[in-house]
Amino acid sequence: MSVLRPLDKLPGLNTATVLLVGSEDALLQQLADSMLKEDCASELRVHLAKALPLPSNVNRPRIDLIVFVINLHSKYSLQHVEESLHHVDASFFLGRVCFLGTGAGQEHHCILHRNTVLKLAHTYRSPLFFCDLEVEDFRATMAQRLVRMLLICAGHVRGVSALNLLSLLRTSETPPPEEL
Amino acid sequence: MERHLQEQTAAESADSGGTGRAGGLPHVAGAQEARSDDRMTLLLRLRAQTKQQLLEYKSMVDAYEEKTPEQIIQENQIEAKVEDLENEIEEVKIALEMKNLALARMQLSTALKKNLEKNDTMNSVLMDNMKHILKLNKLVMKSQQESWELEEKLLDVRKKRLQLKQASERKLLEIQTEKNKQKEDLDNVENSDKIKAMQKNLQKEIQITTVIQHVFQNLILGSKANWAEDSALKETVLQLEKNLTMI
Repeated sequence: MSVLRPLDKLPGLNTATVLLVGSEDALLQQLADSMLKEDCASELRVHLAKALPLPSNVNRPRIDLIVFVINLHSKYSLQHVEESLHHVDASFFLGRVCFLGTGAGQEHHCILHRNTVLKLAHTYRSPLFFCDLEVEDFRATMAQRLVRMLLICAGHVRGVSALNLLSLLRTSETPPPEEL
Repeated sequence: MERHLQEQTAAESADSGGTGRAGGLPHVAGAQEARSDDRMTLLLRLRAQTKQQLLEYKSMVDAYEEKTPEQIIQENQIEAKVEDLENEIEEVKIALEMKNLALARMQLSTALKKNLEKNDTMNSVLMDNMKHILKLNKLVMKSQQESWELEEKLLDVRKKRLQLKQASERKLLEIQTEKNKQKEDLDNVENSDKIKAMQKNLQKEIQITTVIQHVFQNLILGSKANWAEDSALKETVLQLEKNLTMI
């Protein structure tokens, strides 16, 4: 299939699946490991991908949450993510997509400006997190947050839906214009 | 391009399996109970999950039944529309919260009522609290009344001060106008015609007197009499020195 659609398959019992999309394999692997180390009562499945569209021959479960990992140190990650965004159905953006910007801690290595990523997240109305995935502690905290988001998106938490969470996470300010 | 990783259920099976192998009959019975408890929790959790997921699917179906506008909308209009929709979501959430609050309030008040009817109304802590609240309210009202009266007094004093200031201002103005009038009168008097006529007469008289004096002097000088010996003649001649206008 060329376009990812949410809720197109029946959910697996007690299972939650997250898809990490990003151009840096090592970072994704580390994040995946941290997420799997998290203690949660449901079964977690983590899928990693460099870019969408995903090959359609594989039988995969319903994807509950997509995390786009953008490395602020390289232009290519942003390009890959932007290209992959075309292959995601619009209804996914109702709370099942989030952006993760990494590498913001090292100012002198950053090529992408923070505002670029902010504007991207604002256009797609999705939450944006900044986290230095290289650092162990930050990665663990981020993994915890992502696992909680995943559980909500998969419907394992009673009374909170993905859309509800999205409006809770919404920031009210529009991003400032990009400084040239 | 794609890989997946997996993790088995951590909590339940490991725990129940561990306690199960502890050995001994009471242990085994306890373990079995723990396992069934765990199974119950698992089942309840799965039930909650399934309910939530069912709710999500239902809402998606409802959302798709709504007709989406087919015409192409411009960029900025899309932005505005999206923001409107987000605000709608917020408003619905707020309305829900308010209704929950109202419901909770109603439930609280009925529970309170039932509690009051049940208990002995004279001794309960609730009644003490309410009496205390009433006392405090009375105190608050009294002090508010007092402060209001004090403010009134202050206002009166300020009004009086203002009136006094205005009166003094008026008086000073009067004094000034009086002074100005006096100065004007003085000027008028100085410039009036009577005085001018009198001054002219004075001048004329002085001139006549001067002429008469000159005539006398010339008479005495012309008569070739020795005027230096006689004091009266001397005086008349020497009066030439005095300028009559200076008198």
